[in-house]
Amino acid sequence: MVKELERAGLPTAHVCTIVPISQTVGANRIVPAVAIPHPLGDPTLSREQEKEKRLNIVEKALKAVQTQIDEQTIFE
Amino acid sequence: MKLELASFYVKDIQFCEKTEFRDGILKVNKQELIELLLCDNRLKDVELDIARPGEETRIIPVKDVIEPRIKASGNSVFPGFLEKPLTVGEGRTHVMKGMAIVTCGRIVGFQEGIIDMTGPGADYTPFSKLLNLVIVANPAEGVSSYEHEETIRIAGLKAADYIAKSVQDLLPDDIKTYETKPIFESISKYPNLPKVAYVYPLQSQGLLHDTYVYGLDAKKIVPTFIYPTEIMDGAIVSGNCVSACDKNTTYVHQNNPVIEELYERHGKDINFLGVIITNENVTLADKQRSSDYAVKLAEYMTLDGAIVTEEGFGNPDADLIMLCRKLEEKGIKTVLITDEYAGRDGASQSLADADPRADAVVTAGNANELIVLPPMKKIIGLVDAAGIIAGGSQKSLKKDGSIEIELQAITGATSEIGFTKMSAATY
Repeated sequence: MVKELERAGLPTAHVCTIVPISQTVGANRIVPAVAIPHPLGDPTLSREQEKEKRLNIVEKALKAVQTQIDEQTIFE
Repeated sequence: MKLELASFYVKDIQFCEKTEFRDGILKVNKQELIELLLCDNRLKDVELDIARPGEETRIIPVKDVIEPRIKASGNSVFPGFLEKPLTVGEGRTHVMKGMAIVTCGRIVGFQEGIIDMTGPGADYTPFSKLLNLVIVANPAEGVSSYEHEETIRIAGLKAADYIAKSVQDLLPDDIKTYETKPIFESISKYPNLPKVAYVYPLQSQGLLHDTYVYGLDAKKIVPTFIYPTEIMDGAIVSGNCVSACDKNTTYVHQNNPVIEELYERHGKDINFLGVIITNENVTLADKQRSSDYAVKLAEYMTLDGAIVTEEGFGNPDADLIMLCRKLEEKGIKTVLITDEYAGRDGASQSLADADPRADAVVTAGNANELIVLPPMKKIIGLVDAAGIIAGGSQKSLKKDGSIEIELQAITGATSEIGFTKMSAATY
């Protein structure tokens, strides 16, 4: 999906938990997520803390698609 | 650590008034066993059935398969469940060969398997060759899915223990001895043989994806050393059956063919030093920590070679590749055993992750391959499960009772510890 979107000319961020798989598959902009069963949330946190965490990941992804890159980049 | 496995070969199972083992025939008092299992008030109902090789019987949905074993001393195996979590793996263990306890019953999630006792499906599952005493158990109202899974898991262990008691005081048909010496002794005994260990990842990702070590949830361990004979005595118990083709039932932990083969060659062409268990957790940090830790142990043991197996597919491929890469970087020659999810036509990428250092890989087959299981005369369990288990779809169950499904739904079909007859070769 990530590669097809990019092929169509849309800069794409891959938000994923297992970064090495994303690297092997060939995503260019990689944003690490929380865990496989809950990539964009964390049930161990309070609602407020979780919201902050989610916002942080989404903002990182938005920044990633706006960033010029020359090689596979992980946005920690 | 030295363990004697004393085998009793079971030729048939029958329901009778008294539970006993005589002349190869296991007689089971059905009511007594049902009452024992119903002591757990989280269970609502328990039924028992027998499935023999060659019979037109389908067992669905299968949760676990367990070999009845008991210590000759009278203690149970499965420490942490039926006994205190104290070290096992020494002395003598009585084993009932040729049979298994199979747990079955209302589905917990969408993640259990199928065992056919005859037909094309039977060729793919090693458990079609066993006499199976099947426990069909359902939970009481209000029991959560986690408790449901745990209740059935423990019922299977209890049943195996109950059955194995029938051979506790008998004379076995044969005895085989397995021994692993402390590391320095082992190295000095065979100084010229390459030092090899088995790196054994355990699935550890939540409900129906968990494994237990001495009763401890494997997601909470850091990789550690374990004597192979501890595993034979039930130190590792399965709590997982999602995509049942490549999940290790308790039976295959008890009978791990990698351990069996490494013992066979120990002292001949290799020096088998033991087993490093690790886990397959759901976060990248856990995967990094566990693979580092397992490799640190491997280096500390001064290994020349390692066999790494896998349990599951997708993200566990990342654990597998991390272990391989890091072991090879330490100069430890590494062989991987895995299976493939290469699409129904076999043309897609087989693993989710890859590395050039993974250059010695054994496959147990393509789990996406489609198979048609013909109708069976007898169903033990609930055939409707075919529509919702992993590998199936709502179109899987046909009107005539046949099932069109991927191999991934067949219990043990593509076992990544090699407890299967299927593989593939590259030409």
